[in-house]
Amino acid sequence: MFTNTLFLLSAALTLGGAIAVVYSHNLMHACLYLLASLFGVAGLYAVIGADFLAATQLVVYAGGVVILMLFAIMLTGGTGNKINRYGLEKVASMGNKKTYFFAGFAAIITSLILLKIIAGVLRAQPAKVLEANEATVNKLGTLLATDHILAFEISSVLLLGALIGAAVISRPRKEKHD
Amino acid sequence: MISLASYLAISFALFVCGILVMIARKNIIAMLLGIELILNASALNFAAYTKFVNNNLDGHILSLFIIVIAAAEASVGLGIVIRFFQLRESIHIDDASTLQN
Repeated sequence: MFTNTLFLLSAALTLGGAIAVVYSHNLMHACLYLLASLFGVAGLYAVIGADFLAATQLVVYAGGVVILMLFAIMLTGGTGNKINRYGLEKVASMGNKKTYFFAGFAAIITSLILLKIIAGVLRAQPAKVLEANEATVNKLGTLLATDHILAFEISSVLLLGALIGAAVISRPRKEKHD
Repeated sequence: MISLASYLAISFALFVCGILVMIARKNIIAMLLGIELILNASALNFAAYTKFVNNNLDGHILSLFIIVIAAAEASVGLGIVIRFFQLRESIHIDDASTLQN
């Protein structure tokens, strides 16, 4: 009963947040709707017993990525004048009729392809009864330190590269013309 | 109600929303929001397959690596966006049409 309620709430939060990200006209609002959607995905992880994944999703996305995006939105908001020196608006519009037309076309094609794949997968998989959830942190730690140790180390190197790369890319340059 | 089919349907809807956001928006940060939605859809798929098909935890490991890669991608992408804003004073995607200055 509790699990069903959690599942329904999380699914509604996820889908509603994702649809609101598509239709919102304000960038800040879109980012907050994305936060709601990520919370819903964390709830969905919790329903199927992925406790460590749910916690990681909350910490990394809600605590890291969305805050980073909010900072970037506020840093690139621009000052009072809305038009830059190239004649384009500084804070770009969130899309127009033409882009939504092409995006809807692409979404229809993508959904048809995915439905074709998913139908075959579901026909091949018999329905399975749910087993009780058990804690996964212990097994995940063992797996990360034994079977997947190479990928673990490579991801640490990737994170170091992303750190240095982001710092180098966005540092203020000394030669500032105009 | 809680089954592989419902999880695949939710992940499918998330993926299509991400594709829509990524193509329809003219704003670089909004396109990054769409990429986050797509990565979440794939990670949710991996976790659902671990629960409903086989109970070894490889799907969870893959979801963890997807989250790590999404965080790295977001940091580098937003760094590029901020640098681009310093150069061009704009985050319009049509403004990013040249490779060098």
